[in-house]
Amino acid sequence: MSSVILAFVVWAAGSFICVRIAQGPGHDTTAARVAVPVLFGVTILAMWELLVRGLEVSPVILPAPSGIADRFSGSATVLWQDFLQTVLKGALTGYIIGCSIAFLAALAIDRVDFLKRGLLPIGNFVAALPIIGIAPILVSWFGFDWHSKAAVVVVMVFFPMLVNTVQGLADTTQMQRDLMKTYSASYWQSLVKLRLPAALPFIFNGLKISTTLALIGAIVAEYFGSPTRGMGFRISTEVGRLGIDMVWAEITVAAIAGSVFYGLVVLAERGLTFWHPSQRS
Amino acid sequence: MKKLMIGAMALGMGTGAAHAADEVTLQLKWVTQAQFAGYYVAQEKGFYEEEDLDVTIKPGGPDIAPEQVIAGDGADVITTWMAAGLAARERGLPLVNIAQPFKSGGLQLTCLKESGIETPDDFPGHTLGVWFYGNEYPFYAWMAKLGVPTDGGAEGVEVLKQAFNVDPLLNKQADCISVMTYNEYGQVLDAGISEDELVTFNYLEEGVGMMEDGLYVMEEDLQDPEFVDKMVRFVRASMKGWKYAEENPEEAAEIVVEADETGAQTYEHQLYMMGEIAKLTAGSDGSLDPADFDQTVATLLSAVSPENPAITEEPSEGAWTHMITDEALK
Amino acid sequence: MRNILPILTVLSAILIIWYLGAIWMNSAWTLDRAEGPLTLTEIVQDTMTQDRPRLPAPHQVAAELYDTVIDKKVTSKRSLVYHGWITLTSTLAGFILGTVVGLLMAVGIVYSRTLKMSLMPWAIISQTIPIVAIAPMIIVVLASMGVEGRAVPKAIIAAYLCFFPVLVGMVKGLTAPDAMQIDLMKTYNATPAQEFWKLRLPTSVPYLFTSLKIGIAAALVGTIVGELPTGAVRGLGARILVGDQFGNPLMIWSALLAAAALAGILVSVVALLQTVVMKRMGFAQ
Repeated sequence: MSSVILAFVVWAAGSFICVRIAQGPGHDTTAARVAVPVLFGVTILAMWELLVRGLEVSPVILPAPSGIADRFSGSATVLWQDFLQTVLKGALTGYIIGCSIAFLAALAIDRVDFLKRGLLPIGNFVAALPIIGIAPILVSWFGFDWHSKAAVVVVMVFFPMLVNTVQGLADTTQMQRDLMKTYSASYWQSLVKLRLPAALPFIFNGLKISTTLALIGAIVAEYFGSPTRGMGFRISTEVGRLGIDMVWAEITVAAIAGSVFYGLVVLAERGLTFWHPSQRS
Repeated sequence: MKKLMIGAMALGMGTGAAHAADEVTLQLKWVTQAQFAGYYVAQEKGFYEEEDLDVTIKPGGPDIAPEQVIAGDGADVITTWMAAGLAARERGLPLVNIAQPFKSGGLQLTCLKESGIETPDDFPGHTLGVWFYGNEYPFYAWMAKLGVPTDGGAEGVEVLKQAFNVDPLLNKQADCISVMTYNEYGQVLDAGISEDELVTFNYLEEGVGMMEDGLYVMEEDLQDPEFVDKMVRFVRASMKGWKYAEENPEEAAEIVVEADETGAQTYEHQLYMMGEIAKLTAGSDGSLDPADFDQTVATLLSAVSPENPAITEEPSEGAWTHMITDEALK
Repeated sequence: MRNILPILTVLSAILIIWYLGAIWMNSAWTLDRAEGPLTLTEIVQDTMTQDRPRLPAPHQVAAELYDTVIDKKVTSKRSLVYHGWITLTSTLAGFILGTVVGLLMAVGIVYSRTLKMSLMPWAIISQTIPIVAIAPMIIVVLASMGVEGRAVPKAIIAAYLCFFPVLVGMVKGLTAPDAMQIDLMKTYNATPAQEFWKLRLPTSVPYLFTSLKIGIAAALVGTIVGELPTGAVRGLGARILVGDQFGNPLMIWSALLAAAALAGILVSVVALLQTVVMKRMGFAQ
């Protein structure tokens, strides 16, 4: 019982410090910006640990963070092997292929107005669909290894990427395009010098949406058949044999992989679109 | 007969009015199908009601481990395979087998003849489909017994996590797949592959058979006389349901199709399944034969798989009990 | 309206590719099972009528859809309308829950620097965690807390995906009024509450609707994910799962198309609501 009380003490202390830092004079510094969310996360983890212990929750229902950390460090090789299979082979390959195809398709569509008018509404519609449901079909088509996972990812990221790129390419004003004409710029010149840079914020938006979709797609597809490695495989198998701490270790890997993946795209965006108003703070 | 029914109904209603029936929640290992016909029949024919029980049957699925559900108080009693039940016990979840409606097992490995597999010695170098979710223990025990590594290569076998269907065999993505006699084997035949194109290995005949669907409860619940009494009535009614299903396969199949909430099951397939299931339940009156238990444990321990052990030591005392069935079958 | 012709062209192109794909993908099985040499017509005919095709032909899916949508009573468990309804209710519950959470968090973040600094990074991280990984955990933890059935866990999974676009959109929307407008409110001596209700909230409405359209599509994805690998027994996701298990591709495809139709209807309803509300509020369209 005392752990439960302690949990709320920790919560009160954690939020008090967060408020003090945020309201304090140094709130605009980088240190404060990192410290507050980290402190928030640590508070939540501490509460989780204390509540699980205090309420004596069975580890097959919800393991404590310390137990998950133990399992995480103890199974590093297995986790790494699963990470390779699911994130690098399945998700990343599919992400690169899907986004590249969508980008090239967008360039092609952009040149033909008829196609643009036909494909854009359909693309917009498909981008809103629960495409995840095709996972079992693609697994039966492309086999059990990472190829079918990459295929699911390709289909999932294709439409959001396509729609965003096409919209981005249209995001120049008449004035700007006329200016390029007065320079007697060719199609490619005006594409590279004007329209692609103008489309970058949209393209990055598509790339960012796709990072999350790629991981979801690769993991779900593993539920429908896989070799004996991979994060989706491990999660569903360990649920079956009550290794719930291992499931949470995989979730931790997924969260880290997802955040790093997203973070890298954001960094690239900052580097390439530093001139755009959305990047000025 | 009719009079008797009315009498029974009147009795049921009479007791129902006096006090609420005892609630029992049963978590199944898999989706609604004739594999669980006995429970659905007992429900539908009022056998549970006669025992003054209000039974909720929860279907399972790929991500649902019955052991986890019972640990989280989501069920009073579960059906699972003995290897999985013992594995959970060794991992600190004290499950107890209170009844064993399945006398023999239906797990098989079916291979295409054209892959060149004739005996288990031909496995190395081939790709085998295996179910996980706690069903992989017999397979790994078998491979350990054969001395075949399971990490691919020319000497070993490549293991695929087979999902839920027989597509890997039809699409030739795997040379062999796991099938249950009562379900997937029929699907392979239905898909147009004839029996003489197949080579089938039965786990029981290979000496690595294990007890399949049994009823398991939490050890601590058995301290409570009221719970024990409830389980006695539950097992009695369930076994009545099983025997009724064996004798009336058509009606049982209909009941199962009616109970299936996905609306995906067909009567033909469930009838086939019921016929095969009846062969597995035929020899059992519900009580576990200790010899069968010992045989399963011996198989698991004779070939402890290095990477996928179900158990590594003799199960602790009390992994099964006759206290329920002795009372129920009196 | 001028887009009708291009759209129809693209749709017919998709249909033709689909048919060609069906012939190509299903012919392997036809040839494998054939007793003797077959003519091209025979092959094509067979690929159109298989029981478990790798890719069902469009008319097969249409027939299955007709059978399960029109021909069955809507209360029947074999009716897609029934399963669609189950999915719809969870989606809407998740959508409402997600929208409310997203709105409250947005208001909190706009008005409190502490919340902004501590919550916002975690909200972003939460979306990079693949929902499928935690779905089964959510179901078990809720079950051990005494929440029975699949409806609540599904709604929570849907809300998990849905709250984020609403949060981001509303933070943008609530901070959209520029300094001039806020100063004007100050000169009126408006209280913070008045500033919120009369300036910030109305300004954020267009942002809200854009987010809601993304949010409702996300809620549907969440519901289907919640039904797919977690052994739900009713709903479109469950139909996909069971169709896969029993080797019934027609069932998978018809459930997929039903899900697509549902997504289309939901997004259209929100878009319609947007038009009506914006007109009433006097936003120039």
